[in-house]
Amino acid sequence: MKPVKSESAARSMSSESTFDPVSPARTEQRTAPRTAPRTSPRIWETPPAPVPPPHLDDYRSIVSSAVIDELRFLARDLKGKTLKMVNSTAVGGGVAEMLNRLVPLLGELEVSTHWDVITGGNDFFEVTKAFHNALQGAEYELTRHAQEIFLTYNDQNRQRMQFNEDIIVIHDPQPAALIRARQDGPARWIWRCHIDLSNPHPQVWAFLRPFIERYDAAIVSSESFARQLPIPQYLFYPCIDPLSEKNRQLDDTFVQKVCDEFGIDRSRPIVTQVSRFDRLKDPVGVVQAFKLAKKYVDCQLVLAGGGASDDPEGAIILKEVKEEAGNDPDVIILDLPPWCALEINALQQASTLVVQKSIKEGFGLTVTEALWKGKPTIAGAVGGIPNQVIDKLTGMLVHSVEGCAYQIRYLLTHPEFAAQLGRNGREHVKENFLMTTNLRRWLLLMQITLRRGTA
Amino acid sequence: MSATATTPQRTPVKPFYFNTSAHLRRITEYKANSLSDLLDAMRECPEDSIFQHTFRTLEEHHFLRAGFSNDFAHWALAACNEPSLAETFAGVDVREFIAVAELRERFIQILEKYLRENPESGTRVADEAFYFCASDTVVLPTSFVANTMHEFTEGVRHVSLHSIQHHFIEARLRIKLMSNDFSQWLHEDAGLTETARALNRIDIYTATLEDVRQHIVRIVERALS
Repeated sequence: MKPVKSESAARSMSSESTFDPVSPARTEQRTAPRTAPRTSPRIWETPPAPVPPPHLDDYRSIVSSAVIDELRFLARDLKGKTLKMVNSTAVGGGVAEMLNRLVPLLGELEVSTHWDVITGGNDFFEVTKAFHNALQGAEYELTRHAQEIFLTYNDQNRQRMQFNEDIIVIHDPQPAALIRARQDGPARWIWRCHIDLSNPHPQVWAFLRPFIERYDAAIVSSESFARQLPIPQYLFYPCIDPLSEKNRQLDDTFVQKVCDEFGIDRSRPIVTQVSRFDRLKDPVGVVQAFKLAKKYVDCQLVLAGGGASDDPEGAIILKEVKEEAGNDPDVIILDLPPWCALEINALQQASTLVVQKSIKEGFGLTVTEALWKGKPTIAGAVGGIPNQVIDKLTGMLVHSVEGCAYQIRYLLTHPEFAAQLGRNGREHVKENFLMTTNLRRWLLLMQITLRRGTA
Repeated sequence: MSATATTPQRTPVKPFYFNTSAHLRRITEYKANSLSDLLDAMRECPEDSIFQHTFRTLEEHHFLRAGFSNDFAHWALAACNEPSLAETFAGVDVREFIAVAELRERFIQILEKYLRENPESGTRVADEAFYFCASDTVVLPTSFVANTMHEFTEGVRHVSLHSIQHHFIEARLRIKLMSNDFSQWLHEDAGLTETARALNRIDIYTATLEDVRQHIVRIVERALS
């Protein structure tokens, strides 16, 4: 973990293990008392043990009893039906994270769900990583050798696995060729694509397409990801779990503690962007917007993310961000490891405004997280963000550094309007982007697909 | 609904069964990059698409009191920068239609007129495409049944907002009347004709669906007090 402050603040650190997050300049400006920083912050330790997944009834207080009861009614006709989920990894990544929550909830609804993970050598995962990037628009030369590797490992997995369930869901391109296990019979096969297919590499898509066409249906994460296919394509937005460490309501004393450790003054407005140090998230642009806004309104900027320690480009971006921040003690840059969900949550909850000034974006789950916490959100009008941020209703969409700066100023000086955006944003997430909505979609899809199969 | 006033029966003749509906969004082959494309697609798309982008989207944005009416209006403003067209689209009140075909015709008429008056707008490329989706629907029971007026108000209080949408807004497409399931039941089975009428006057475009729920409860309770 590398908590980093802007240049002057960073110099105040004597070593990583005795991090003092408060620079001298900041101490002068601070008005609220601060607790002593921990000598061994939790976030510097190894990842914590996973928390057991919540039960369906745990969501009642969040989405209402009626909504949970509806899920039970939806599942009633599916009792005894079986479902198999197949993906390429059991841990790490958004798909595994989602399945880790979804599978137990389906089980609780007596929809017996079996989750299988494909295996493969490094050569397979190198090929599928390249496919993944190519399908999202990257340059790639598809060789016969790569195709053989892809098909060989898919065949090995096909022979190893059983496909006796009523519905088989294959996630993403890696195991897509498992469809060759399909036999005559009532089982329905669904391809769930989590990646952006709006501009796929023509060769790679041409190679995969014949497999996809053999499925009964496909699921994509955005309207623009749908392709011309002879099968129905459904829209499942990505979702967040309101009971996860990253999204659950935190005790204010913990929020205060995290802010104290990072030298964030809660008595002054806090503008936060949570994202990897990645050019496409435009953290440099965020610092520039902050500096423009700060000429007129008092505020601090928190840039919290990761990727600088394990990604060479991330380190370059981090350096650029620090250079842009210069000696400003109000720019607080935090390079956090992936297991800091609670700290990220606390930073979001402490924020007055959240910014996600992306230049390119998938869906933008950090936006969903901010909206769920009721935070007025300013975000780039790219990727899936406009599905979440309806301009001037659930947040503010921006297209430039100047636009972002203006909206920071506007929202900080119009707190009632900002609060209304925050309330609307939270309701938008509650209705459309929570785990319970995702569960509802899966149950509906099962009903519709099985019904279509018997029609 | 008959205009003849009837004596409130307080004990309804038949129970009211609260149902709900769940929708899954399917992406269709229809897509528009300009207003001309939109017109073509509006003419050809399945009725489920018109339903999705009007009735259904209203439910997806039920928490907004203003500024959102239907997807066509939103796209005309956000992606085409055509505020006048957006305003006219937004003025289409789904409660005035008992069939999706009529609703589709209304949007087509508005767009045809607009493009006649503003031909240069037809081929201008929108900032982002409009993807026609459709709604696959499953109707479900709930655990709420009203045998008395008290049980009715308790049901309205506690069912999900999906159920309110199902009975109060989407119902007209099923019953083919300028009314809703609640009003029909109050009039036909509970003898509360004026209350039924009052429910039909609730403005769903300037209130959230939660506000609508509260309005319904207040109106019914006032009638019973």
